[in-house]
Amino acid sequence: MSKTTSRNPMDILDRYLQAVGFWLPKAQQQDIVAELSEDLHSQIEEKETELGRSLNETEMDAILKRRGRPLLVANRYLPQQSLIGPVLFPIYWFVLKIVALFYLGPWVLVWIGMMSFSSSYRAAHTSAGWLGAIVSAWSAWWFTALVTLSTVTIVFAVLEQVQSRSRFLENWNPRKLPPARNPNQIPRSGSLIEVVANLMFGIWWIDIMSTRVLLDRPEVRVVLSPVWRYFFWGFLLLALINTVLAAVNLARPYWTVLRASFRLATDCVGAGLFCWMLKASLLAEITGAGIPAARALEITNAINLGMAKVFPVVLAAGAVIALVDARRIYRVNKTVLAPLKREVSAALV
Amino acid sequence: MANGTQGGPEILENLKLELRRGCLIVAVLGQLRTEQYGYTLRKALADDGLAIDEGTLYPLLRRLETQGLLVSQWREEDKRNKRFYRLSPAGEQILTQLLEEWQNINTSLNKILQEAQAL
Repeated sequence: MSKTTSRNPMDILDRYLQAVGFWLPKAQQQDIVAELSEDLHSQIEEKETELGRSLNETEMDAILKRRGRPLLVANRYLPQQSLIGPVLFPIYWFVLKIVALFYLGPWVLVWIGMMSFSSSYRAAHTSAGWLGAIVSAWSAWWFTALVTLSTVTIVFAVLEQVQSRSRFLENWNPRKLPPARNPNQIPRSGSLIEVVANLMFGIWWIDIMSTRVLLDRPEVRVVLSPVWRYFFWGFLLLALINTVLAAVNLARPYWTVLRASFRLATDCVGAGLFCWMLKASLLAEITGAGIPAARALEITNAINLGMAKVFPVVLAAGAVIALVDARRIYRVNKTVLAPLKREVSAALV
Repeated sequence: MANGTQGGPEILENLKLELRRGCLIVAVLGQLRTEQYGYTLRKALADDGLAIDEGTLYPLLRRLETQGLLVSQWREEDKRNKRFYRLSPAGEQILTQLLEEWQNINTSLNKILQEAQAL
């Protein structure tokens, strides 16, 4: 073997075998390395016979490179281990996605919200400038993400160990599986609650909110601006439409494209009306026996300003609701109309 | 398969790998009805059209030995220590059963393919 290469070939081969051996378990190390060494020697010998000369360094390198990186070669001999095995991995992945969606994502949104709308929070966190605040929030977010994801991973690694010993996941009962769910089905309980809630809202609305004078007591009187009548009738009409829609959903508990579109339209109108109301300086006046006129005006303006400040939040919420409604229309269209269209085209063909 | 399927060759390679995985075990057990060491075994398999890389063969031999289907012995040949493998009695039994299973699969596949051709 010492004649196989021009420059100390034993050294290259020995270094390779040593590198493979490093990753092998002690009990098998010597045995595996001896067999690997023998195989490589046989291969080198065959090549030398074929060429009629000793191998040079490049040819020796090529043989070892073809055999593979030492770590990978050793890995083939090791028992295949995984922190979280294939049985638990889908659940682990699902939990990670839930954590990201409902904790790590909202964490960022809450931070943005606080920085945008809370002046005290903003003041407390921008003492080192905006860049400092972003860097600080970024590192806090990463720390939170690291701790959360590590905790989930550790829990699942422990579960994996328990599962590999007890095989508890293999004991299951088909009868305990959740009922098959049609995504277009509308739960009747939800529709019933919607009908009752809308009716109760309508009664309360007519009883309490039909007048511009919201509060009329000797100590305080609150009056809304004349524009209120639009909102009163608008919201009342919406409640009525929503009651009818919920009643139809109760009787026919599957979304159709028409009803889903109706829901999108009413939600958009509702959100639009609400946004307009927030910006409409709704409160006309506050008067009271013990309230000075200047103070009453100050309170009125503060309330109107406070309502206007909520506008972006309501707008964002409205956009989210509209997106959910639009997605519903898409889903209904896909699951109900697309097969029907296919059938019609097939019949026509 | 070739037209339209992106990554077609890769899919084919993976499917061929899956198809070969079980066959290779039968082939190795079959070859080791006569004693051989790793290098000559690999050559013999390659000569018969079932090339197998060293990184797969040697761990497979150790696994089969751990399962009691092979026995091995270090012996000197041509001035070098070599590990010779051969089928154990338990391995012979398993091989017979595996070959029966192989025949059954082959028969079923032929039947399925003939039926499909007849359609």
